[in-house]
Amino acid sequence: MSADALLSLRGISKHFGRLAVLRGVDLDLQRGEIVGLIGANGAGKSTLLSIIAGLLPSSRGTRTFDGSAEGAGSRTERARFAVVSHTAQTYPRLTATENLELFARLRVQAGVASEPVGTSLERLGLGYAADRQAGTFSRGMLQRLALARALLGRPEMLLLDEPFTALDRPGRALLASVLDEERTRGSAVLLISHDLEALVSVADRIVLLEGGVIAGSVGRGDTADGFAEGVRDLAGKMPAVGAAEAHA
Amino acid sequence: MRDATLTLSGARRGPRATTNLGMVALRQAWLLAVNDLRQEARDLELVLTASFFTLVVLIMLGMSFSALGVSAQPLAVPGMLWLSVAFVGALTLSRIFNREREFDTLRAMLVAPVERVSIYLAKAFVTLVILLGCCCITVPGLALLFPAAQPFAERPLETVALVVMGCTAYAGVGTLFAAGLASSSGKNVLLSVILYPLTMPSLLFALVATRSLLEGHASFTTYLGQLTATNVLAFVVGAWLFEPVLVGVPQQRSARRASRRRR
Amino acid sequence: MNKILPFAFLGAAGMIFPYSVQLIFLQTPIEQQMGTVQKIFYFHVPLAWIMMLLAVVCGVAAGIQLRRDSKRAEAISIAAAELVLVTGLGVLITGPIWGHATWGKPWTWDARQVSTGLLWLVFAAYVLVRHYGAAGSERLAAGLAIFGAIDVPVIYYAVKIWKTTHPSTDVAGSLPSSMWAALWPALIALLLTSLALLMIRVRQEMTDVALDEAWIGLEHDAASPNLAAATGDA
Repeated sequence: MSADALLSLRGISKHFGRLAVLRGVDLDLQRGEIVGLIGANGAGKSTLLSIIAGLLPSSRGTRTFDGSAEGAGSRTERARFAVVSHTAQTYPRLTATENLELFARLRVQAGVASEPVGTSLERLGLGYAADRQAGTFSRGMLQRLALARALLGRPEMLLLDEPFTALDRPGRALLASVLDEERTRGSAVLLISHDLEALVSVADRIVLLEGGVIAGSVGRGDTADGFAEGVRDLAGKMPAVGAAEAHA
Repeated sequence: MRDATLTLSGARRGPRATTNLGMVALRQAWLLAVNDLRQEARDLELVLTASFFTLVVLIMLGMSFSALGVSAQPLAVPGMLWLSVAFVGALTLSRIFNREREFDTLRAMLVAPVERVSIYLAKAFVTLVILLGCCCITVPGLALLFPAAQPFAERPLETVALVVMGCTAYAGVGTLFAAGLASSSGKNVLLSVILYPLTMPSLLFALVATRSLLEGHASFTTYLGQLTATNVLAFVVGAWLFEPVLVGVPQQRSARRASRRRR
Repeated sequence: MNKILPFAFLGAAGMIFPYSVQLIFLQTPIEQQMGTVQKIFYFHVPLAWIMMLLAVVCGVAAGIQLRRDSKRAEAISIAAAELVLVTGLGVLITGPIWGHATWGKPWTWDARQVSTGLLWLVFAAYVLVRHYGAAGSERLAAGLAIFGAIDVPVIYYAVKIWKTTHPSTDVAGSLPSSMWAALWPALIALLLTSLALLMIRVRQEMTDVALDEAWIGLEHDAASPNLAAATGDA
């Protein structure tokens, strides 16, 4: 086990009754690293994310965050990472500012620092819509709002589930530059996505979740014929549509 | 950085940190409750639907029991009051948590650095506010429709105390199970299956207290005290069970146990 | 849990039961006021005690299940809840028969009747939630069982101040000693039967869990033999 990994998973399994979703996942996440996670539908990517976030206990295996296997998902730990789900998880009747302010103030009450709400909104290009209710936002705007909320606490670890889906081209470029800044700041980022092109442009390493285990991994600079090519080969190991469900 | 975490997690177990934890939980609960009420104030969805439903129930009760003799009314009116609370409460609870489920916001709250108890307290408080709002229709309505319910108007302070206590009990038990169902993507039909048998004891105490209020018995304060005691019990157990029911066992214990087994 | 023990219990119960029946019907005097119907008391009271005991067992097991994530506790809590339904049905059938002889009415809304009925409803809700709930509802069901077990005395007390006509416990205390003597064998027989059923049901649940794990293990080995060797000890 590399001692300096911020997050380290060893032999993580999860079954629901007779359905084994994860069967021994080993994964390390370093500070200042962006890891892309790919896998077919039903491969268990979101389940893995929930286990990392401490929302779901694993059936077996250990999850170590910053050297400690205890207190997964405790409040102190939750103050140090952030999750952006594939749904925006915002209150539609509140304005963008109010949505963020709630979480900023909850952080302050918990005794942890928070970025100013305005700065966060500006950073994701939502300054112009700060006083509009989130219910009037497009999906892409909601996605950016959710990201702004996640960045409020300057998380040490950022877990993103399909953040590219609703974003247009400028939105993707913005997300890529934000992730780049986060990496420079020393944050560890785990990115679930189906969008190989987008992943190749931002990630340092791409891992494939298949059959409940990490079935392969390609790092930037690992392959002679280029990262993009390596990722394409990796993605080629994914089963055809429907095979994963049949397997499960 | 690691040292900082250690002291932080160590401090949480200290006695001073415990009171701190309580304060944090209360402050966060207040923030969450205000946030919910602010959203409600923007479109009044819960208030309007719940009070409309209350009105319908009240009219049905009036039509069904208007011919009831005055001597029988003190027995019937408490039942009408608390049955309508039970119905409106189930409606309100399922709507509050459906709203969370529609936008998946409960999950966002569960990964934020928020004490889980705060979520419980905040939701119970909002439910209580809506229920009390509905009682503002039911209680005067019953007093108008049934002569035996006049004591509601004659002894307003006692009536308010009674209604607040009765609704609190309902909110305390109901919030736990409504939240549990919402987070397990379960079926809402199960809410009424769970809710009615479990809230029965509190409602029974409320029923007894209401009858003694209507009949002008001195025992009212005793019954009110007992109702308050069941409230405390419901809230303590509800708060204690909220996190284990919603997200499961705190991992540190199972991890520690696993490491012990390995040795 | 031991394989033979439940069957030993059932065997013992099978031997005690005929003895208890002949004790009840042939050697115990017939109660003057109620007549022969009073004999049902020897089945009703033990069943009610056993039901209360099982409800408490279910609540405690559910608490352990929640705190420790224990499969065994979960199995015990499921088994106990189902047996509460069975014994509860017995209580709710024998009760009104006895009540009819005593008060001339089968159901009088007294504290013990209502609390038994509500307890039965709570555990029926438990079984419903376990059957129809989605993933994760086993924790919800556990919460329900804990609340249910705590509710029992509260309901009892609540109805008691609401209305009381049931023969109070001191009536049972003043029974002639021959009637008590006939009660104990019946209680032991029924208790042994319930314990045996509980153990068998727990074993079923544990087998179910083991079967699931074996299935997963098998799939696991087939999918990646080297990985299974590496994580097999976890």
